[in-house]
Amino acid sequence: MRTVLKVVDNSGAKKVMCIQALKGKKGARLGDTIIASVKEAMPNGKVKKGKVVYGVVVRAAMQRGRCDGSEVRFDDNAVVLVDKQGQPIGTRVFGPVPHELRQKKHVKILTLAEHIA
Amino acid sequence: MASQVLPQALHMIPRNQVQPFNPVKNRGFSAFLSRGPSPLTTSKVSVSGFHSKFPVGSSFSCFARRGFVVRAESNPEGEGEAEGNENGVEEPEMKAKAEAEVEGEGEGEDEAEEEKPKEPRKPRIKLGDIMGILNKRAIEASDKERPTPDLRTGDIVEIKLEVPENRRRLSVYKGIVISKQNAGIHTTIRIRRIIAGIGVEIVFPVYSPNIKEIKVVKHRKVRRARLYYLRDKLPRLSTFK
Repeated sequence: MRTVLKVVDNSGAKKVMCIQALKGKKGARLGDTIIASVKEAMPNGKVKKGKVVYGVVVRAAMQRGRCDGSEVRFDDNAVVLVDKQGQPIGTRVFGPVPHELRQKKHVKILTLAEHIA
Repeated sequence: MASQVLPQALHMIPRNQVQPFNPVKNRGFSAFLSRGPSPLTTSKVSVSGFHSKFPVGSSFSCFARRGFVVRAESNPEGEGEAEGNENGVEEPEMKAKAEAEVEGEGEGEDEAEEEKPKEPRKPRIKLGDIMGILNKRAIEASDKERPTPDLRTGDIVEIKLEVPENRRRLSVYKGIVISKQNAGIHTTIRIRRIIAGIGVEIVFPVYSPNIKEIKVVKHRKVRRARLYYLRDKLPRLSTFK
């Protein structure tokens, strides 16, 4: 709630603010889906300022534990905008993404990513 | 073991750590004490807390010189308690073997005293050492499969990791070690690197079986144990080709 996240695809938005975490009582973590409101957008883009969109958290400054005992954390909070079915709106994804997304079935985002951390 | 008391009804509680006795009469006694010795059986003795009970087969004057407090107690109950206490803690096969040794030893102590050779007294394992010993064993077991190099903060390392999710090839992680947390088998190192413009920190358990190789590529001179200041510095300092 109220977390401002960076948008790392080319859907047109620049910053979104989280208004709801879809799963989890304590908030969304790396790999979860959120509902967000676009706060800042590029002038000609697929989404405009003020639009309510869904997003998948691809980078989080909070560490996420993996089942082998390792943990991963990024330096910023970033999100990729998706539609209700989970398909990304943009056509490119910038920056590294964790491979937790594979387990969450966001395979399309993984294929578009530059680097899988 | 030492807790197996002879049919005589006296228990001795030493005020200080018992040294091997010199007098001939006590030879069996000291050998008796030092038999406990293999790490597991010794732990049996100290855990129960009854290690103060010693067999009485020797003259009381020797014991008196050592400053023992002699207490009369009925035997069978005492022994039963000793057994009960030690039962829960030890490995059954070692215990059974030690008990068999001990009982044979105890009965024949008077006769065997003269023939027993003096054995060096082996150190006892205390309750607080058990986790350390288990950790050391686990580390040795993991080292046998894959040797782990000595890692320090400031090393630039390359880690080859097998991820069951990826299943294709080994993932390679390169970066600088910014911290090392020592916790026995769960010793972890934190690797930092700038990937595609974003800083990423990953914590790896060093002795994990998923890690196929750890290689120290370079070393950077640092004057700290934890390099958390790198997070605020220029990305150039955390970039490694």
